[in-house]
Amino acid sequence: MGKSKKVILLGNFGVGKTSLVRQYVFHQFSEEYMTTIGVRIDKKVVTINRDEVSMIIWDIAGESTHQKIPDSYKLGAHGIIYVIDVLRPSTYKSIEDEMISLQELLPNAPIVKVANKIDLLTEKERVEIVNNLPLNDYVLCSAKNGENVEKAFYKLAGKLI
Amino acid sequence: MDKEKFEVLKDILFEDARKRNEELASKVNAIDEIISDREKLEPRIALILEDQVEFLEKNFPQLFGNAITASIRKQIKESQEEVVDALYPIMGKMVKKYIYRELALLSERIDRQLEKAFSWEGWVTRIKAWCGGVSEKEIIMKGLARPHLEEVFIIQQHTGLLIGSYSKNNTLDKDMIAGMLTAIKSFVKDAFRGGGQELETIEYENYKLVISNLRSFYVVLVFTGFMNAGFRSELDDMLVDFQKEVLEKYLANKEIFSKDQLTQLIKAQFDKLNDGEK
Ligand SMILES: Nc1nc2c(ncn2[C@@H]2O[C@H](COP(=O)(O)OP(=O)(O)O)[C@@H](O)[C@H]2O)c(=O)[nH]1
Ligand SMILES: [Mg+2]
Repeated sequence: MGKSKKVILLGNFGVGKTSLVRQYVFHQFSEEYMTTIGVRIDKKVVTINRDEVSMIIWDIAGESTHQKIPDSYKLGAHGIIYVIDVLRPSTYKSIEDEMISLQELLPNAPIVKVANKIDLLTEKERVEIVNNLPLNDYVLCSAKNGENVEKAFYKLAGKLI
Repeated sequence: MDKEKFEVLKDILFEDARKRNEELASKVNAIDEIISDREKLEPRIALILEDQVEFLEKNFPQLFGNAITASIRKQIKESQEEVVDALYPIMGKMVKKYIYRELALLSERIDRQLEKAFSWEGWVTRIKAWCGGVSEKEIIMKGLARPHLEEVFIIQQHTGLLIGSYSKNNTLDKDMIAGMLTAIKSFVKDAFRGGGQELETIEYENYKLVISNLRSFYVVLVFTGFMNAGFRSELDDMLVDFQKEVLEKYLANKEIFSKDQLTQLIKAQFDKLNDGEK
């Protein structure tokens, strides 16, 4: 088991969590599970300098900000991908509080922040919007064209080894 | 003729028409009022509708029954194969389920009978003494009482990470199955809060998943066939042994155990369950 890690996706409804996973892994389980039990599990094995990590990725249906979802989803998580939508300030206006309470709940779980849907921005808007985001160190992604998606998960995998 | 006289003449000539117009207008107004006022309209229409509904209810079979039956009959006749195709799996499953259930009941009954008559050990020794070996009867009874173990999963609580598994068929990724089982388990727990209660079995057609919670992990045993109380208690005993003899050792020396070694231990332990069925 040593190198299997539970990874959860968090972030408001519609920010692109499911799309990111869809872009990153080939689904074995049908997406119908999302509607029936509210969760779907995917797996991706990443190799970082000879070290192998199996990321068991949990995606949840509906609203998934930290306060609103059941504890069982988060319990024992080894790593977190927190997703925001660059075009919707409501998806990141309270990100600082979210980070604090997540760190309280899962003190050992590294968090990678993903700013998604950057395909919708011009170069100029990118600079402007990204500079004005609360906190820094986001991976700028597009689940639509795949830009940096691999990089976001790889970054987390690196912190899990 | 001057203007005044013309007016008088007009009055005389059109008096009737004017009166009729006025009457019509007031009638239209009244109807309009009824139609646009639901409360006034409803009782009038309701009565008519009620009559119609009652009439239809009483006379539906006579009026449409033959036509419907004929059309259904015709459809079945014209597409017998499709109908058989559609019904066959349902019938098959129903029959299979029924037989399994009956067998399970029979097996329970035999068990109860045996418990009453002799203790299990006493019975076995008696048979052995009588026949100098294992009788056919014993094998039949034991066979009846035994489901077949298909897969074993040892899963960490909460994280859903697979610690070890043993399986005869390699279909889906075991890590993902472990995650989904954990998600389902916690879904049930979240959805039906029953004060620390846990999901213990999942039944799917002839598959039965038995879930045993042991502190930091849980064991899922996947069986086909039917299971009676006697088997369940035997299984519980085995799980306690398994925890003591395998899992605790494994947890204490995780580093020196390989996943394959654990699989071997799981297999050795749980194959005993299938041994009894030959
Ligand atoms: N343009 C664009 N649309 C995206 C991107 N990621 C997701 N979407 C769209 O945003 C919507 C919500 O995505 P979804 O993955 O279901 O969000 P979730 O609720 O966080 O799982 C869908 O219509 C996606 O097609 C992206 O990177 N770019
Ligand atoms: Mg989603």
